[in-house]
Amino acid sequence: MTDRAPVPVGRGPATAVDDRRGPVRWPDRRLPRGLHPGAWWLWALGLATAASHTTNPLGLGLLVAVAALVVVRRRGDAPWALAFRMYLVLGAVIVAMRVVFRIVFGGGQGEHVLVRLPEIPLPEWAAGIRLFGPVAAEQLLGGFQDGLRLAAMLVCLGAANALANPKRLLKAVPGALYAVGTAVVVALSVAPQLVESVLRVRRARRLRGAPGRGVRALRGIALPVLADALDRSLALAAAMDSRGYGRTDAVPAGQRAVTGALVLGGLVGVCAGTYGLLDTTGSDHLGLPMLLAGLVVAVAGMLLAGRRVRRSRYRPDRWRPAELLVAGCGVTAAALTVLAGRVAPELLYPPVSPPTWPELTPLLLLAVAAGAAPAWLAPPPPLARPTRPPVPVSAATTDAARPTTSPAPVTGGHR
Amino acid sequence: MSVLRVTPRTALVLVLASAAALATFTWPFFIPAGPETTARTDEAPLVFLVVLPVLVALVLAELSSGGIDSKALAMLGVLAAVNAALRPLGAGTAGIETVFFLLVLAGRVFGPGFGFLLGSTSLFASALLTAGVGPWLPFQMLAASWIGLGAGLLPARLRGRAEIAVLAGYGVLAAYGYGLLMNLWFWPFSVGADTQLSYVAGAPVLENLHRFAVFTAVTSTFGWDTGRAITTAVAIVLAGPAVLTALRRAARRAAFGAPVIFAAPDPPAAPATVPAGDGASRPEPSPSGVATRARSVVAPRGTPT
Repeated sequence: MTDRAPVPVGRGPATAVDDRRGPVRWPDRRLPRGLHPGAWWLWALGLATAASHTTNPLGLGLLVAVAALVVVRRRGDAPWALAFRMYLVLGAVIVAMRVVFRIVFGGGQGEHVLVRLPEIPLPEWAAGIRLFGPVAAEQLLGGFQDGLRLAAMLVCLGAANALANPKRLLKAVPGALYAVGTAVVVALSVAPQLVESVLRVRRARRLRGAPGRGVRALRGIALPVLADALDRSLALAAAMDSRGYGRTDAVPAGQRAVTGALVLGGLVGVCAGTYGLLDTTGSDHLGLPMLLAGLVVAVAGMLLAGRRVRRSRYRPDRWRPAELLVAGCGVTAAALTVLAGRVAPELLYPPVSPPTWPELTPLLLLAVAAGAAPAWLAPPPPLARPTRPPVPVSAATTDAARPTTSPAPVTGGHR
Repeated sequence: MSVLRVTPRTALVLVLASAAALATFTWPFFIPAGPETTARTDEAPLVFLVVLPVLVALVLAELSSGGIDSKALAMLGVLAAVNAALRPLGAGTAGIETVFFLLVLAGRVFGPGFGFLLGSTSLFASALLTAGVGPWLPFQMLAASWIGLGAGLLPARLRGRAEIAVLAGYGVLAAYGYGLLMNLWFWPFSVGADTQLSYVAGAPVLENLHRFAVFTAVTSTFGWDTGRAITTAVAIVLAGPAVLTALRRAARRAAFGAPVIFAAPDPPAAPATVPAGDGASRPEPSPSGVATRARSVVAPRGTPT
């Protein structure tokens, strides 16, 4: 993927031609930069919603492929960007688990019996359950499709994890969660320092001639590291105090009462709504609306309470056209899949018995295309270590050399 | 001692949100049978997936609404970092869980509100570090938060060996409880609808409980959960006394409870005074005047804002 390099290859001619007029506008739009994490999450949630609305293995496979494509083309080289493979493995495990559960505990519904495994009836305490028995094709197919749907949703979320910068996401938390968000930021920045602390303590132990391995060494290292971390927290608190962290506006008693009433009232609504949702006798229509209304009221109270937190943002992430496009792609994919389900439900949920070969619908293909568009629409990610192929000095014309020098140090500061 | 003051209003919010959140774990037991049940069993998990993060956010916001002392905030961040660094140590090996031990001890020392926040922030930071953000995260955060909260609510009088014994016992309970809750959450997702281990909509609670018990016994109780319980208990017994001492020393140095008053700015030698109490009688000098900083909003006169 040459496009991941700071200078996309496709841009070369454009800048070369418009060397006088164009270099400000066109390269600006394609400068490597991290997209707003919210845009990636919206896109991924849209894809996950699309995946949740079909069990068609072809469609699900395409959605997973789309997520992988976008990740490969647009991820940076930060540690979290490398976790996508783990999600693929996890998805495979889920599919396998579903199928294995169907084999072991299936109960053997279905006509096309593939094999008959010996049955193992369990003892009295697990009455009514037997292991193995006949294994039907319908059963396996049902387990596979269900598992694949869950795995596809998971992979979509994994794509968001790989693409969105969590540190920038933390900047977008609402004001009421500012304190907790700050604690998480502290945790994220202290965690790497712990490694350095461990190395330092180990080196000090070695200098004193103590062994560097074994259980006693573990104790001798862990406790100083913990004490060091606790001392560091006090120093950090002093630094935060001196920089004005944790300043809050004085809140009038009336406003505090209002926010409290909103939060409490909303929570009572949530409890009642949940009860209504699970109640066997009550009216069905009350549960979900009440639950949602309660949530809205409580969240309104929370946001109101958060307004008293005054904070300034350093380099705030803005929603620019690229962000809107990427998020819109996710929403479009979800909407198209839902629409496809309305038009041809039997193709999006292919029947398990009798087993049929899955087919794609044009709408589903459109949804997949919309999901794949961010691979080209999103700006290339900033890389700390540019992985572009070495450019011969003689061939390095002005159009290639100029942009590389300027964006690299600037974007390096974003992380 | 309690680092974070839990007001009655906060406690009420905590109880209400916990009650609603418990339903998001246990709904398979109670889901009604009916003509529209299939649709509902499809949508119920998704509804709860949306509801729970909001509930967790509400409780966290409410707990921190009184304004967290910057010392408590830094302590929270550092302990969450230690927890997040400990977590991957055990994740690969079957059943070795290294998070709960520090969570229980810190909840014990710093109080229930702090324990609750520490449970959430630890798992959140850990998920961000390992890119493990997903629908399971709010459930894990809440379960870990309950563990920290419970550790803070243990009887305060105990000291010495009795304390370690109680904490280790609580650690075992918490480890099994966490495993049960996580299994319960994942139960509808992991086995699907039509096996003998799946929940049955509309069946009596006892029958579903029975099915769940078999499911959890088959999948994890004897392997993962027991391993987790043993690890937690052993870690508390072995390292507990030393870690408790370190945490208590840090709490004393930070002097969380010491009220801060500003003296008149006229005498230049004494800009701030800590009244006699926990903070004044401590042996070590506080680093760079942390203990004497204001936790209130008002800056002293003459300070540029």
